[in-house]
Amino acid sequence: MSRWRPWPRSTSARLALAVTVSFLLAFVLLGVGVHYAVSAMLTQDARELVRVDAAGLVELYRDDGRAALLSELRERIAGDEDPDAVYALTANDGRMIAGDYPRLPNHRRGARWIEFTERDGDGERRVVAQLQRLPDGSVLLTGTRTRSQDRFLALMLRTALIALAFAASLGALIGWLTSRWVSRRLRHLDDTAARVGRGELGLRATPDGSDDAFDRLARRFNAMLDRIEELLGGVRHATDHIAHDLRTPLTRLRNRLEELRARAQGDTGARLDAAIAETDQLLQSFGALLRLARIEAQPPVHDEPVLDLAALVADAVELYTPIAAERGIALRAAAAAQARVRGDADQLFQLLVNLLDNAVKYAPPATEVEVALRRERDEIVLEIGDRGPGIPAADRERVFDRFQRLEAHRGSPGTGLGMSLVRAIAHRHGGRIALLDQAPGLRVRVSLANAD
Amino acid sequence: MRVLIVEDDPHTAGFIAKGLREDGHAVDHADNGKDGLFLATTDPFDAIVLDRMLPGLDGMTVLQTLRGAGNRVPVLLLTALGEIDHRVEGLRAGADDYLVKPFAYAELSARLDSIARRGQAGGSEPTRLRVADLELDLLSREARRGDKRIELQPREFRLLEYLMRQAERVVTRTMLLEAVWDYHFDPQTNVIDVHISRLRQKIDQGFPRPLLHTVRGAGYRLGA
Repeated sequence: MSRWRPWPRSTSARLALAVTVSFLLAFVLLGVGVHYAVSAMLTQDARELVRVDAAGLVELYRDDGRAALLSELRERIAGDEDPDAVYALTANDGRMIAGDYPRLPNHRRGARWIEFTERDGDGERRVVAQLQRLPDGSVLLTGTRTRSQDRFLALMLRTALIALAFAASLGALIGWLTSRWVSRRLRHLDDTAARVGRGELGLRATPDGSDDAFDRLARRFNAMLDRIEELLGGVRHATDHIAHDLRTPLTRLRNRLEELRARAQGDTGARLDAAIAETDQLLQSFGALLRLARIEAQPPVHDEPVLDLAALVADAVELYTPIAAERGIALRAAAAAQARVRGDADQLFQLLVNLLDNAVKYAPPATEVEVALRRERDEIVLEIGDRGPGIPAADRERVFDRFQRLEAHRGSPGTGLGMSLVRAIAHRHGGRIALLDQAPGLRVRVSLANAD
Repeated sequence: MRVLIVEDDPHTAGFIAKGLREDGHAVDHADNGKDGLFLATTDPFDAIVLDRMLPGLDGMTVLQTLRGAGNRVPVLLLTALGEIDHRVEGLRAGADDYLVKPFAYAELSARLDSIARRGQAGGSEPTRLRVADLELDLLSREARRGDKRIELQPREFRLLEYLMRQAERVVTRTMLLEAVWDYHFDPQTNVIDVHISRLRQKIDQGFPRPLLHTVRGAGYRLGA
């Protein structure tokens, strides 16, 4: 599994997250709206209750006078007919005549409705009350504690929060499962595409027969790959045929020249030798071209055996030591005891031979060519360095092109395919190749995956 | 020696036959697998040059049928398929050697000589090889020429051993690479020539008669 990131990378996970988040947002908005509406309605009810109650008291005051109101109030305050009802009466100078409060709660002058909070040992209670100035200047406060409404609201809020938590986890779970399912279906396709891109052209996605969008996509994808493979096969076939069909007459020509050479005398013989050498050069170019085409068309080396590159390096160095010595060049090898890579021994040997050949060819006499093979974490790194003219940075990519001979080296023998072959082999082995400046000279670095 | 050519392409067959006849061999030709198999099973041959792709009965089937019947005649398989695994397949099916088309006549001739000789050798493995006054002891890993002891690197020893086993026969550069280095690759330059010339210095220098000869356009020959 991947590391946790605050923002997931996969599209399906993002989608799931976005859906969950918008759902929660909608839920919260709705909840706030409902809560507001319900609490407004409850307050309205409480006021209605208070209004009716206050109207009765005012009527009592009008009909039976202040004393009757006062006794009624005191009776109601003392009794507990309605534990939530709140009453108070102040004289016109503000003194409290009846009620539980030392004085009226703070309010704006002339306010008719007030809301305040009672505090005592049991906690806090909200009170909705109406103030009425009676004709004699005293003020009557009639109110109700909104205890049950508050409890109801609190319960509603709690229920909503629990529902929200439940919905959120359910949403997240469903989102996660959906995104997992989508990713799984896509990952398979993605992996297949990546591996095909790396050269496993025979690989196909496996449709599951469900005929859903993913399944159809997989089938289309496979049809596309079939077509690509067919086209590539055609190209390869054509290249093979061209190279092969040209090699046959060339070989025939060479055989004819050989026959002539056997009978030739003196100067003619030397000329025929030159012609034969040139024919050989051409044949070698075609051979290299064919091999290059084949290597580029081969799948990556997953099925190849694991081999010890150190042994190959030793063999290649041994093969080239006399050639280097002839030119007065010392071949120095510093190889790790063991460097295991997965691959084709013949091709890797060809890669080594081509690189050594170049190094020995371009190194000035009486210098050293160094071959280093070492393990770096999960890679095997092969470096071959010479003290020759090197390659200008601008030309470094070009040396890998087919038949690309750098101006400076036109005179030297070679097919112009050596480095193309080296790169094709490195790529087929899942490796990288880099040309570095040795100042002076060139250092070629090939990095391959460590098979251990 | 008597050589049978089983090859459907008249041009290739003609050019092989012509070369072999010039080299003094008796040549028979069949242009399809069925006739080839019939000839191979009724007449004794010293070697067969067999094309892999034939009309009717293909070369691999001819080869497997021959080997299945206990016929051990040396077979050189010709093929347009140059892949290593095709090669291995051919050798597993019982071919003694394998040559990819197109080829130079010199290469075919050298390989045919080599396998025909292998066919005759049979019997016990010698522990000593001898060519003129050059001697190679395979057990003590010693080389001598006359009374001079020759110091050889392991690879030079293998090179000389191969040349001596093929004494008096032309051995091509490709054959040497395959037999002594055991890698199938295209040598860029004259790598083999340099190794041969170092070997030549060790075995021929100071002796009036050279033993290691260069055969122009073909390869090398060790012999008097």
